[in-house]
Amino acid sequence: MRNIWTVFKRELRQYFVSPIAYLVMFAVLMLIGLNFNTDLQDRANFEPADGTVVLSTFAFLMVFFAPLLTMRLFAEETREGTLELMLTMPIRDHELVIGKFLGAWAFYSIMLVVTLFYQGILLSLTNFDPSPAPLQSELDLGPIIGGYIGIWLFSGATIAIGMFFSAMTENQIIAGFLSMAVLFILWVGDLAGLLPASIVSTRVAEALRVISLQSHYSTSFLEGVIRPEDVYFYAGVMFIMLFVTTRLVESRRWR
Amino acid sequence: MIEVQNLVKKYGDFTALHGISFKAREGEILGFLGPNGAGKTTTMRILTGFMPPTSGVAKVAGHDIFDESLAAREKIGYLPETVPLYPDMTVQGYLEFMAELRHVPERKKRTQEVLALVGMEHRAKSLIRSISKGMRQRVGLAQSLIHNPPVLILDEPTIGLDPAQVADLRSFIRDLRTQHTVMFSTHILSEAEQICDRVVIINRGQIVAQGAPRELRSKLNLGSRIYVEARGRADQKSLANTLSKIQGVKFAEPYQNGVVVNVKDNKDVRPALAAVVLENGLELLELRPVAITLEEIFLEVTTALGAEEDA
Repeated sequence: MRNIWTVFKRELRQYFVSPIAYLVMFAVLMLIGLNFNTDLQDRANFEPADGTVVLSTFAFLMVFFAPLLTMRLFAEETREGTLELMLTMPIRDHELVIGKFLGAWAFYSIMLVVTLFYQGILLSLTNFDPSPAPLQSELDLGPIIGGYIGIWLFSGATIAIGMFFSAMTENQIIAGFLSMAVLFILWVGDLAGLLPASIVSTRVAEALRVISLQSHYSTSFLEGVIRPEDVYFYAGVMFIMLFVTTRLVESRRWR
Repeated sequence: MIEVQNLVKKYGDFTALHGISFKAREGEILGFLGPNGAGKTTTMRILTGFMPPTSGVAKVAGHDIFDESLAAREKIGYLPETVPLYPDMTVQGYLEFMAELRHVPERKKRTQEVLALVGMEHRAKSLIRSISKGMRQRVGLAQSLIHNPPVLILDEPTIGLDPAQVADLRSFIRDLRTQHTVMFSTHILSEAEQICDRVVIINRGQIVAQGAPRELRSKLNLGSRIYVEARGRADQKSLANTLSKIQGVKFAEPYQNGVVVNVKDNKDVRPALAAVVLENGLELLELRPVAITLEEIFLEVTTALGAEEDA
C-alpha cells in the first residue's frame, strides 16, 4: 500500500512537470469548451440544456488523448533504464503497476473535475434562477451525476488499456498508436449494428456491442441509469488489463 | 555477504552463464572483470533480483535472491550500467523518491547526507536533464547508497567519465569499503587492480580465474620481468640475444631504450644479468623489476581458454 502511494505520487507529479500533460489538458478542455458553446447555442430557446454533452465529448476525446498520456508510463522507463532499477527495488511488480495506473487515472480525474465548471454554467442558466421565468428549463441532474460516474470508470478502463500497450514496447510512439487504434475500435464497436446484416451479422454486431467501451455508458450512465453490469464491465477491463500488464512487466525478468 | 553457487543463465538457446560460483566477504571490494558480453551484467542483474537464474543459488546478506527476493533487494544498492535517472526530476526529488521507495526514515536528512557524500549539494535543486554525465553518475551512486545498504553492486561505474572523475570515483569506492561490501564490474583491468581486494575474471560465461590481484599473478605462474638498460657498442637486439641465453630466462626482447627479460618461475636472475652485461663490456644503466599487469594476466587466461576451445 505504502509503495503504491509512493509510485502514485511520483507518477501524478510527473504529469505536472511534463509539457505534454499541459498540452493534452489544454486541448481537451478547449475542444470541450467549443463543443459546449456550440451545443448551448443550438439549444437556446429550443431544447432544454443537456449537461451530458460535456461528458460525451470528454469520452470521445479520451479515445485519442488517453494514449498520449499513458504511452510513456512503461515505455519511457524501459528506454531510460529506470525500469531495471524499479524492478530491483524492494517493491512488488503489481505495486508498481497499480501505482502508475492510479497516477494516470488521477490526472484524468482532475481534468474531469475541471469540466464541472460547465455544469456550474448550466446550473446558473437553469434552475438556480431564484424566480424561474415561465418555460425556463430545469437541468436534469440525474444523467449528469450518473454520467460523471460512468465517464470516470470509462476513463479508468481506457488508461488501463493504454498502460498495457506501454508495457508491451519500449517505443512510446508504437505504444501510443496501438492503444489509440484499439481504443478507437473498442469505442466505435457498437456502431457495427448500424451496418446491414449482410456485411456484419447480427451476432457479430451484438458481440461487438458487448465489448464496446461506448455502449456501456451511452445508453446507461449518460441517461442517469447506473447498471451493475456496466460498473462490472469497466472494473473488469481495468482489473484484467492491470493483471496482464503486471504479467508483462514480470515477463521482462524472464527475457 | 554475496554467495553465488553454480549460477546458470540461459537466454533461449544462448547460455550466458555456465554455472559460475564465487563469494564476496564482508567489507571486501570484489572486482568483476571481463570483456564485453562476458556475462558481468547478467550476473549482476541476477544478484539484484532483476531476473531469476535458470539454475543455481545466489545469496545476498544471507537471503536467497529468488525465494526471499524482497528481503535481499533491501540489502542491495544497485547502480546499473545505464544510470537510471528521471530527467524531469530534480536531483533532490529523485533521491527523496528513491529513499521513499526504500522506506528510509528521515528521508530529507538522509538525502542531504548522500548528496554531501557524492559532492552534489550545490546541484540539489537542478533538473537531472541539465547536469553533466559525471554528475549523473554521482547521482546514480547516491541513489544506490541512500538506504546505506550492506551490499553495493555497481555495473561499470567508471564508464564514460573523464580521467579526473574516474580517479575521484575510484577513491570514493575504496572509501566505501569500511561499511559496505562492494561488487563492481569493469573491463578496464588496471582499475580492478587498483581498487579491488579480490578479482573474479569472467569470460564467455565462465570464471577463468579468481583471487587477490597479487595471488592471481603467482597462481598463473607468469614469472617476473626485469628491465635492463645498458650503454655500449652492442645494440638492443644483440643484447637481448645475449641475455636470453642466461639460465632461468624465458626470453628477452627490446623495449624502449633497453631490454625486457622474462624470467621463469620467479628465479632471481639479477646478479647473472648484471654479470653478463659487464662481461660484454657494457655499462649497466638500469636494472629494475617490471610489474606484470592484470591486463597481461587477462590476455593470458582468455587466450589460453580461447585456444582450448578452438582446438
